[in-house]
Amino acid sequence: MRGKLITGLALLLFVVSDIQSQRTTSLKINEILVINGNNFVDDYGQRNPWIEIYNASPGTVNIAGCYLTNKIERPKLYMIPKGDVKTSISPRQHVIFWADNLPSRGTFHVNFTLDSVKSNFIALFDSDGQTLIDSVTVPAGQRADVSYGLIEDGWTLDKLREAKRTLPSYKDVMELWIYFDDHNNDGRYVTPSSNNKILDKNEKNENFKDNDSFGVGMTITATGVVFIGLIALYFAFKLVGKTAIRLSHERAKLTGLTTEEAKGITEQSGEMYAAIAMAIYEATELHDEEHTILTIKEKTKQYSPWSSKIYTLRQTPNLR
Amino acid sequence: MDFFSFLGDNLQTFLTYTSFANFTLGHAAMIVVGLVFIYLAVAKEFEPMLLIPIGFGILVGNIPFKDAGLQLGIYEQGSVLNILYQGVTSGWYPPLIFLGIGAMTDFSALISNPKLMLIGAAAQFGIFGAYTLALLCGFEPTQAGAIGIIGGADGPTAIFLSSKLAPNLMGAIAISAYSYMALVPVIQPPIMRFLTSKKERLIRMKPPRVVSQTEKIVFPIIGLLLTCFLVPSGLPLLGMLFFGNLLKESGVTRRLAETARGPLIDTITILLGLTVGASTQATQFLTLNSIKIFGLGALSFIIATTAGILFVKFFNLFLGRDNKINPLIGNAGVSAVPDSARISQMVGKEYDPTNYLLMHAMGPNVAGVIGSAVAAGILLGFLG
Repeated sequence: MRGKLITGLALLLFVVSDIQSQRTTSLKINEILVINGNNFVDDYGQRNPWIEIYNASPGTVNIAGCYLTNKIERPKLYMIPKGDVKTSISPRQHVIFWADNLPSRGTFHVNFTLDSVKSNFIALFDSDGQTLIDSVTVPAGQRADVSYGLIEDGWTLDKLREAKRTLPSYKDVMELWIYFDDHNNDGRYVTPSSNNKILDKNEKNENFKDNDSFGVGMTITATGVVFIGLIALYFAFKLVGKTAIRLSHERAKLTGLTTEEAKGITEQSGEMYAAIAMAIYEATELHDEEHTILTIKEKTKQYSPWSSKIYTLRQTPNLR
Repeated sequence: MDFFSFLGDNLQTFLTYTSFANFTLGHAAMIVVGLVFIYLAVAKEFEPMLLIPIGFGILVGNIPFKDAGLQLGIYEQGSVLNILYQGVTSGWYPPLIFLGIGAMTDFSALISNPKLMLIGAAAQFGIFGAYTLALLCGFEPTQAGAIGIIGGADGPTAIFLSSKLAPNLMGAIAISAYSYMALVPVIQPPIMRFLTSKKERLIRMKPPRVVSQTEKIVFPIIGLLLTCFLVPSGLPLLGMLFFGNLLKESGVTRRLAETARGPLIDTITILLGLTVGASTQATQFLTLNSIKIFGLGALSFIIATTAGILFVKFFNLFLGRDNKINPLIGNAGVSAVPDSARISQMVGKEYDPTNYLLMHAMGPNVAGVIGSAVAAGILLGFLG
């Protein structure tokens, strides 16, 4: 018994630790611009390389205390300062860090730069300086004003595989990390502090319009799911009902009743159901002018410490 | 400027602020609609607990005023009505209503005869029939999904889904859903009589067995796990429905259950009804789309009722003589708890005064609530 309890608790701890990972571990390195020639300007009016971090969770995440680095052997290279409200990233939103090696300029200016010739390793570590949240290596030979980013905000390889299966527009996509170039006119633009994929239409809506313009597919699928759900409930309660009847018969037999008498316990007379039906009918007539309401209500008073007089009275005074 | 011209100017300015100066025919039309709702509630007793707050809300929402940033209207951010309306737009009133419904619903009829659940599923054809018709009327798929849910005959579900899929149509969808729920006694009986033979209407169903408390406690737990694992997007509604039911059936949280099915649901019903009514400001509400939605809403109720009754007739082909289901309870699958179940009882009594169908009709009725919440979850999953 004790062994089972320990196993159960261990399982619970495992589940809880997984839930905890919904927090800073939901942060993703989302887009990077190594050579900023004519792109986004920082709060000092200067163009520097930038790193975009995305909060992929449905809750606000505070990135303060986490570490950004471009050297795997120095995970604590730049600690994102605490105490700045801007480090709280809203759900599914972004924040930009400037890789200008000028940390004195504020929270979002890190103490390293990105190499415009060689490849750049960038990593985000959790506040313990040991847990790697996310990392990426930007290939060498980056072009000016062409960013390197995830095909869609916060996507993982699993998400890409799922999209390739379900969304026709992703069928031929091979890479998770792609280049965004404003001059290509392929809908993939450099998007600092914004969605990597610009959502200018409702893809699900368009998909249904193109492939199911009369709603037949939706009707078949959705009705099927409703039926499956309720059929599952039907079987579950058929089983629960049978078990309950069997148990009640067994209990009745233990008290000395015959099989036939035991069966009678689970059935009641039609008159009783007529009375109950009438009571429900009358009780649901909830109008101001109520008449002939049949009330079946237990009159016993439930004990509760919240309403107990023992706890609300002061000590009995001593009479002299 | 002398004193009298100052007074005259002020009076003139004041007059521009009165409703008389801003009155339009649209406002008049909506005020008439509000009065009709109140009349139906008081004189005909059609769903008074819904129609009184909505009808009065329509009057509140259609008092015209000058748009001078006074934070009066329901669509003006920060106004009192707008704050109360947040529960509708953010979709948190409907789950609270479902909590109350769960705490007041007895699922015994359904547990004792689980096959009645399938009637609740069949009646959901109304939703998808209306979805198809809405597409044919030129609505976008998301809008069609929101309009289709009117066929679920479940006001909170309709508001919840439309707030997610088509917020701009929510007022029309909510009014349409509640109007037709109130008109269930008018819409359903002719269809029920038309689709059934006299012999079918006289079918006496086997009395339901006694359901143990353990089964009643297990129902919301298994119900939640099965339906929400299948359609997680139905969680806000189904989760609260089954939670409310567990409060009721556990037997140890009586005070919580009484609050959920009493003061809580009453408070939310008042706020929901009033704000949904007030959201029908003529300037926003009176459009061709609203008229189309009303038409589609009526059709969805007709389809849902028809599907429920025909499904029972079809189902009876496979059932033994002693287990036949009276098709007059097929209409109850559309939800509209408990009105559509009462219609089954009333129509059944016309043909056999000793045949009590209400208990049996409550089965598909509550299955309809589950079915429409599941359907809403599917639509949200597909289109949201």
